[in-house]
Amino acid sequence: MKWKRKDLLDLENLTAEEIKHILHTAIPMKEILGRPIKKLPTLRGKSVVLLFYESSTRTRTSFENAAKILGADTTNFSVAQSSVNKGESLLDTAKTLQAMNVDLVIVRHSSSGSAEFLADILNAGVINGGDGQHAHPTQALLDYFTIQDHLGGFEGKKVVIVGDILHSRVARSNVVGLKKLGAEVTLVGPPTLLPPEMKYLGVKISHHLDQELPGADAVMALRLQLERQQSGLFPSIREYSKLYGLNKERIKLTGKDTIVMHPGPMNRGVEIASDLADSVQSVIEEQVTNGVAVRMALIYLLIGGGTVNVVD
Amino acid sequence: MLWIKNVNLVDPTQGLSGVRDVVVRDGIISAIQERLQEQDVLAVLGTARIEEVQQIDGSGKYLFSGLIDVHVHLREPGQEDKEDIRSGSRAAVRGGFTSILAMANTSPVIDQRALVEFVRIQGQRAGMARVYPIAAVTKGFKGLELVEMMDMRDGGAVGFSDDGKGIQNAEMMRLALEYAKLTGCPIISHCEDNDLAGNGVMRRGEESARLGLRGIPASAESVMVARDVLLAGETGGKIHIAHVSTKESVQIIRAAKNIGIDVTAEVNPHHLLLTDKDVTLTGTSFKVNPPLPSMEDQEALLQGLADGTIDMLATDHAPHTWEEKAKPFAEAPFGINALETALAAVWQGLVVKGLLSPEQVVKLWSLNPARRFGLAGGTIQVGSAADMVLFDPLYKEMITAESLESKAQNTPFLGKEMQGFPVMTWVNGELLMENRKILDRK
Ligand SMILES: [Zn+2]
Repeated sequence: MKWKRKDLLDLENLTAEEIKHILHTAIPMKEILGRPIKKLPTLRGKSVVLLFYESSTRTRTSFENAAKILGADTTNFSVAQSSVNKGESLLDTAKTLQAMNVDLVIVRHSSSGSAEFLADILNAGVINGGDGQHAHPTQALLDYFTIQDHLGGFEGKKVVIVGDILHSRVARSNVVGLKKLGAEVTLVGPPTLLPPEMKYLGVKISHHLDQELPGADAVMALRLQLERQQSGLFPSIREYSKLYGLNKERIKLTGKDTIVMHPGPMNRGVEIASDLADSVQSVIEEQVTNGVAVRMALIYLLIGGGTVNVVD
Repeated sequence: MLWIKNVNLVDPTQGLSGVRDVVVRDGIISAIQERLQEQDVLAVLGTARIEEVQQIDGSGKYLFSGLIDVHVHLREPGQEDKEDIRSGSRAAVRGGFTSILAMANTSPVIDQRALVEFVRIQGQRAGMARVYPIAAVTKGFKGLELVEMMDMRDGGAVGFSDDGKGIQNAEMMRLALEYAKLTGCPIISHCEDNDLAGNGVMRRGEESARLGLRGIPASAESVMVARDVLLAGETGGKIHIAHVSTKESVQIIRAAKNIGIDVTAEVNPHHLLLTDKDVTLTGTSFKVNPPLPSMEDQEALLQGLADGTIDMLATDHAPHTWEEKAKPFAEAPFGINALETALAAVWQGLVVKGLLSPEQVVKLWSLNPARRFGLAGGTIQVGSAADMVLFDPLYKEMITAESLESKAQNTPFLGKEMQGFPVMTWVNGELLMENRKILDRK
């Protein structure tokens, strides 16, 4: 299929076909990552700006590598070294980027809707690298790539996502796409972090992890923001871990060779025990590799125009 | 001298709703009758020269007593980039309002008599709608000490409110209700529990969850409504609940009225016409506090209007600059610019659909506000001041930034065509707006 979108802001508007097309495009990208010399001329002369208002070395590095491998020039427009600290508005930053005539902007920002805000102003493509609690589409896509790799597909597969669903853009984006792909999703977390309004997602909601594990093909633990304890959202890490923490013993309840996922960075011993994180069931490191491949695919689709062959 | 002919006169005070002629002399209504003859009009006006009488054909139009808006933010002193008393009172007249109550959350807040007098005098200077100051309840809005309520009332304040934020301390609110009895003025309560509201930016529910925006639970308002009506009951004070937006608030107010508590309540048009489903991530003109309600809340608000639980309409006109609103949703300020679109919005959204009658509109937006706050106006009868609005239900207009008298343009109706507008507004018999344009005084 021919890719037509300028931006990737969330997964709400993507069709299952488009999602599969991205995943398909990521397969040769992953192959390139396995080569000794990882550098292509595909996007030579294209400029990619990484606009990160929230510090996230992992995501930024992943995008930066993806763009560089494809031959694009990357510029970090990050908090520490820019006018962001001096209080320049997102509007003015957008106008500046527009004036610089860049090709692609990858933005991470603490406000929901900030990626759409930029996309409305810029002629350049925009990839949402995470906006507030709203969406994190590239994380979801790399998770799909990983699931597909291990489970062979999505139809009828049971995926359990456990943790702080309310505040998680990862969970929101994941569910939206997984439903489109035909997976069966269950969300699990304490009532304060998985309140009734999350039923808008239209998937099963549960507060009891052990009841939901049987039959699960993939289990994804979300990072727990430890400061939420101070806000009273859960009583203690100890109790959280006891009720919702993944470990080797508990994962046996699935009765399957379940894959265990985590978007990183992990709080070991909180939402996931080390014995499980480092076990053969864990695909957490693969998620990181797949993240680069999926981001390469996206950058290629958005600004490569499909006019050049990706691979040689 | 003015003779309006064959106009559909709506005046709930007299139970009047029918075609009449209205004659005005020296700013006072001098005659109201069916089909007056020229010689009768001349006799009433005490003149022989018909050329001196402005004659207006009112057929197909309504004549209402000037609307009274008990909740506007005029931003002066201190935030004149958003609005000032002149631009705000011009916007009012253009919207059909002849009296407006200016909230005290300016910079500085209106917490001394001199500031009350400043607002009043600036209103007089503008020479548009009558501007009545609302004074703060507590000094500096700090919620710690009461303002000099009597001195401020004597300076022209017609009510007291820390609107913009709620009075968090229940004992402070109790004392305010108790002490304000001296003044005879109501306390206007902006009901919002800060802890429950948290850093929320829209109504908490499935829509806020979908957008990933922090939610404000309905209880953030309702618990404080409950607290304040109980305190009004206990003290015998007068409470007016600003911008009611939840089903539970309506239920509580209804119950309070049933047991004789001196409570009145207002609702904003946007809460009757828009819901949380209208919120989008980049639609900051829909960001307002209290936030746009759920569908269920909205039904309860309409029911509350219908059965008299809610006493009045009010705009909560809250202008902000374009730059302030040109931000991601969570970072933009709360507020909707409403004076120039509110009547059209209510007309096409509620009256045309049969949810509200023209008589109710006048009662809710003119008569009841006048009664509650002890103001002139609210009626068109012989001997009363001619604060009037001629309303054309067929008049269509595109809402554009250029057409607005307000300095700001943060309205959800920007770029939309609306129908049903005031085409003439008189204050004290003086024509201040004609054909949607302010008539500047010589
Ligand atoms: Zn308020």
